[in-house]
Amino acid sequence: MSFEKRLQSGEFVVLAEMNTPKGVDISRFMTDARRIKGRVDAAVIPDMDNGVMRMSALAGGVLAQQQGLEAIIHVYGRDRNRMALQGDLLAAHVLGIQNLIVVPGEDMANGDHRDAAVVDDLDEMGLLNAIAALQDGKDLAGFGLDGSPKFTVGCSLAPAADEKAMAAELAAAREKVAAGARFVVTPPVFDVDRFAEFAKQAESLKVPLIATIFLIKSVAVARYISFNEPGAHLSEEMIQRIRKSSDREMEGVKIAGETIAKLKQMAQGVLIQTMGWEHRLSAILDAAGM
Amino acid sequence: MITAERKPLEEIIAYVRPFDRILLVGCNECVTVCAAGGRKEVGILSSALQMAFLKQGKNLQVKEHTLERQCDPEYVEELSSMIDGADAVLSMACGCGVQEVARRYRDKPVFPAVNTTFMGASERQGVWAERCQGCGDCLLGITGGICPIARCSKQLLNGPCGGSTHGKCEISPDVDCAWQLIWDRLKALGLENRYEEIIPAKDWRTGRGGGPRKIIREDLAE
Repeated sequence: MSFEKRLQSGEFVVLAEMNTPKGVDISRFMTDARRIKGRVDAAVIPDMDNGVMRMSALAGGVLAQQQGLEAIIHVYGRDRNRMALQGDLLAAHVLGIQNLIVVPGEDMANGDHRDAAVVDDLDEMGLLNAIAALQDGKDLAGFGLDGSPKFTVGCSLAPAADEKAMAAELAAAREKVAAGARFVVTPPVFDVDRFAEFAKQAESLKVPLIATIFLIKSVAVARYISFNEPGAHLSEEMIQRIRKSSDREMEGVKIAGETIAKLKQMAQGVLIQTMGWEHRLSAILDAAGM
Repeated sequence: MITAERKPLEEIIAYVRPFDRILLVGCNECVTVCAAGGRKEVGILSSALQMAFLKQGKNLQVKEHTLERQCDPEYVEELSSMIDGADAVLSMACGCGVQEVARRYRDKPVFPAVNTTFMGASERQGVWAERCQGCGDCLLGITGGICPIARCSKQLLNGPCGGSTHGKCEISPDVDCAWQLIWDRLKALGLENRYEEIIPAKDWRTGRGGGPRKIIREDLAE
């Protein structure tokens, strides 16, 4: 069943993030795609994740689909103006990409091409409106299209450190949903109880909520997130659990799996971020009892 | 100078319509030089607004004041004696001035009456043209004193495109080809060899690529 149909029918969806290579050697990407095919409903392909120049998400999405793995690609406005974005969206459709997530671009200052010019012609709302226009058969200049694309479009929520920031994120998400987003991807969830409260508030969005599960690979990563992302609510207890484990990597896998199991009743799906450890995906899903 | 053009009267009217008492603030610097928001323009806009509202049966009170420099907190402070007598501020300064007034008087709505346009120079009476985009890494030393970032439509760094015709840009016969200007100037200076030097891809970190910019002079900062 396609990602769109699972969303529509209220089925729980399991997505896995897969980054494209920095280069043209696609062997690992293809191996990972084949490895996770059948265990997840679709792969989410970020575009230049964290501002790091890589093969484009469009190419990654097409490659994944060539392996029989449905793809959802990220789109954002930092690197392309409205001409390039629209052109790539038309290309994405004809190359078989059916799903998009409109995301904010990482700040160029945090990437690996800090000297690059920032485009930012369209923000997330502008991009959602562009996608809606294209699906309606018109481009942003109002000219008619010779055949219009069709996508299932999602949006993302930024991490929020406190209630006020969360309210602002929800308000922004409401606007994105009104502009055509049909699902919402949350930031990484480490505190399930907090997520439960948030999920209740997000019910008013009336679109499926997909919770991000971030695989903690080490104590250092956990500490980094805990220190730098106050909105993540990664507890000291969780850090200690990993620290005391005889197999810290496996402990991270177990935590991810347990979190997924708990979220099954609160979200309509999960997006698993393995950060290059796609080979651990099966173990995470086993730990989740899926 | 920073150039600006007054917004259409209808747009300004829409901003101030909900209010009865307006403080209309001009600036004696760039916007005075480019005849967009100095004392004279403040007077003209004040009259235009009052007449427009009078036609609709509303007596709009407009207090006019032109600051020496609206982007400078020291001068913006002058407004403190007038601000309570106004429901809103209408600023005829560039965006820097509007924001400085808004920063200082937080509980007062501040509206722009001009569109800040570019950093430019006067070509002749009544004509201003863009000269600088504030990229933060000036190339003028190697391009004969003519900026390809601000003056070439494509921001080309290594010579003109195929659209350069008889010294004019393809976008309009009214726009000079920056690279023709650069070549002519280098030639006049006997620096033709410089034209052959390849300028590498620009580092935009000093421009907007690095986000909002700030200058901190440690020797001056308090």
